[in-house]
Amino acid sequence: MISKKICMLGSFAVGKTSLVQRFVHSIFSDRYLSTLGVKISKKELDLDGTAMTMVLWDLEGKDRYTEVNVSYLNGAMGFFVVADGTRRETLDIAMELRDKALTLVPGQVPHMLLINKADRRAAWEISQDDIRDIVAMGLPVIETSAMTGNGVEYAFTELGKAMLGQ
Amino acid sequence: MDDRRELERLRALLFERELRTLDRLRDQLDALDSFSDRQRRAECVSDIIAEALAIRGRRDEKLNSALEPVVDDIVKNALRTKLPEFTEALFPLMGPSIRKSIAEAFRGMLQSFSKSMEIAFSLRGLRWRLEALRTGKPFSEVVLLHTLVYRVEQVFFIHSATGISLAHVTGEGVASQDADMVSAMLTAIQDFVQDCLASGKEGELESLQHGDHTIMVEKQASAYLACIVRGTPPTRFREQLRACLEDLSVIYFSELAAFKGDIAPFEASRPYLEALLEARYQDDKAISPRGKIILGLLGALLLCLLGYYGAGAYKYHVLKREAREALALLSREPGLLISYNAPTGNGTWEVLIFRDQFAAAPEDVLKDNGLDPASFEFEAVPYVSYQPEMVSRRLKADLKPPSTVELTLGADGILVLSGTAPVNWILEARRRADLMPGILGVDATGIYDPRMRELAEMAREVESTVVEFPSGQDVPAQQYQASLNQAVNKLVEMEQLAAGMDLSVTLTIYGHADATGTEKRNYEVSQARAKTIAAMLYAKGSSLPVLTYGLGSGYAGKTSGADQASRRIEMRVQVFRNGEMLRE
Repeated sequence: MISKKICMLGSFAVGKTSLVQRFVHSIFSDRYLSTLGVKISKKELDLDGTAMTMVLWDLEGKDRYTEVNVSYLNGAMGFFVVADGTRRETLDIAMELRDKALTLVPGQVPHMLLINKADRRAAWEISQDDIRDIVAMGLPVIETSAMTGNGVEYAFTELGKAMLGQ
Repeated sequence: MDDRRELERLRALLFERELRTLDRLRDQLDALDSFSDRQRRAECVSDIIAEALAIRGRRDEKLNSALEPVVDDIVKNALRTKLPEFTEALFPLMGPSIRKSIAEAFRGMLQSFSKSMEIAFSLRGLRWRLEALRTGKPFSEVVLLHTLVYRVEQVFFIHSATGISLAHVTGEGVASQDADMVSAMLTAIQDFVQDCLASGKEGELESLQHGDHTIMVEKQASAYLACIVRGTPPTRFREQLRACLEDLSVIYFSELAAFKGDIAPFEASRPYLEALLEARYQDDKAISPRGKIILGLLGALLLCLLGYYGAGAYKYHVLKREAREALALLSREPGLLISYNAPTGNGTWEVLIFRDQFAAAPEDVLKDNGLDPASFEFEAVPYVSYQPEMVSRRLKADLKPPSTVELTLGADGILVLSGTAPVNWILEARRRADLMPGILGVDATGIYDPRMRELAEMAREVESTVVEFPSGQDVPAQQYQASLNQAVNKLVEMEQLAAGMDLSVTLTIYGHADATGTEKRNYEVSQARAKTIAAMLYAKGSSLPVLTYGLGSGYAGKTSGADQASRRIEMRVQVFRNGEMLRE
């Protein structure tokens, strides 16, 4: 039986919360996000016969005025950084958060970049070139849509597998 | 050749000691290889085998793997062949733990039993029940609210850095949330508090309060314990918590240090956490363990008594109903009169009853109506009932009337006999019935004996026979011989019939004379005429008692003078029963 702590990082309103809402089980209301700065939810996966419980720490979105409470990254065994495809600046923030996280969590922690709102690709400000550059850095990128659910399950499974391979 | 010898000598000179050593070694090796020296080899190995095993065991798992199947087989074999020895060896170990476990279970049961007994039978319990009714809360919750000092409802064993739940236990009947998420949230809260309040200084969040719930946290570097407690736990509980965490930190030292999310090894920590689940109720202080046992026993006794008396009351209720039914039945039964009735106290009903000799037995009356007579103890007092039904039964039993007789008891108390019966029975019945209680008179006009009528008819025939005599003679004239014979035959017949009826018949013959001649002579001749007839009867074989009277000429009653009609006899037949003359 494997349990893993996963963090979700990203700019304000990139859709982190809605991204996981349909795929996870939570007993806590969104109220916690604004009071504690974190919302806990849980996802159970079956990775080729290995049961894994992902405890998701959805960290409050970063904006100009708030800092992500980095204490919550303690002990993370994997994380997602999330950007909004329709807002270019969210990608920069995501990359910033990734760097910060890597300084806080020891060793090579599996992580991925999720570019959300794949359902509104026409309005995207993030180009394929941007994505190619990021992939070239060794960071896996997965396009997701919280609206249609596209890519979400896949992202969790991929991260799970990466963590198991550790 | 010389050179060679020289060389040998030189070698012997140079290497003599070494060659000797080599020879000795070769001998030793040869000896080692030989079978006879196994003992020595074994001894050699035995010197070092323990150390060798210890060293190899520390180095890797191979020794374990190699020995495992062997040991496995040995144990299996030993268990199969030496089970009694194993049982004996294990008993001192298992006996006490089984006993302890049973005692624990029993103690827990007794505690909760005495608690429920106490609550169920107290005024306070009633008050709480009302409160539960008023507030709509379940009764158990109301009781809990009032009696609970504290209860450890849940214990979480959590990995400090990741907030991952390693193990989680909940108390009986406690609803719990998802342990993974609660553990993460607790960790997040601690991180939050650490960041906001302690601002980097030393210190830990030790407890969180919400309503009557407290979350107590005991933390160490690698893991922490969090307990959700209802009420206020005593200070010693914190020490318990700390001791438990210290134990777990030692036991799981390596697993915690290298934790990568595998929580399977921590499953074994559950008994430690379960030991922390405890509850204390308000009255526990007031009642010593011995008190609890006594209370429990008293409660059980009370329950038994209640059950006993409840069952008794129910049985009494059933008995009372049966008694009511039975008494109603019996009071309707003729010839029975209930004088006194009451429960006896041992499950039966006592009935003092007046019973006519001819009344049905009360037990039979009940049985016939589907009631169990075993529930009743009858004491019967004999009495005579005047109820018409009883009088009739008594009559029938006493008179034993033949089937041809009908007995009718009128409302005026007059017994009417009708039909036919032997005259003896009729007479006896009349006599006895007259004396019988409940009978004021007997009307026998409707009953007769047909043979009595026959007798009377025959008597009339005999009595109407006319026999006249020639003047001065005592032998009847020839023409009367036939009718005289007929009369005599009838009399013989009567005599036989009467004998069959246990009666006797008496014949009286009056002789008459006409007015001629002297009075003396007339008496003589009338006497002689009566006697002649009597003699004729005897001659016919009759044994009837016959009275003869010579009445002379004074009673002729017909004509005076010398007419033939005055020279005659008259016969009177009478029937007697025990000397008493019967009249038709």
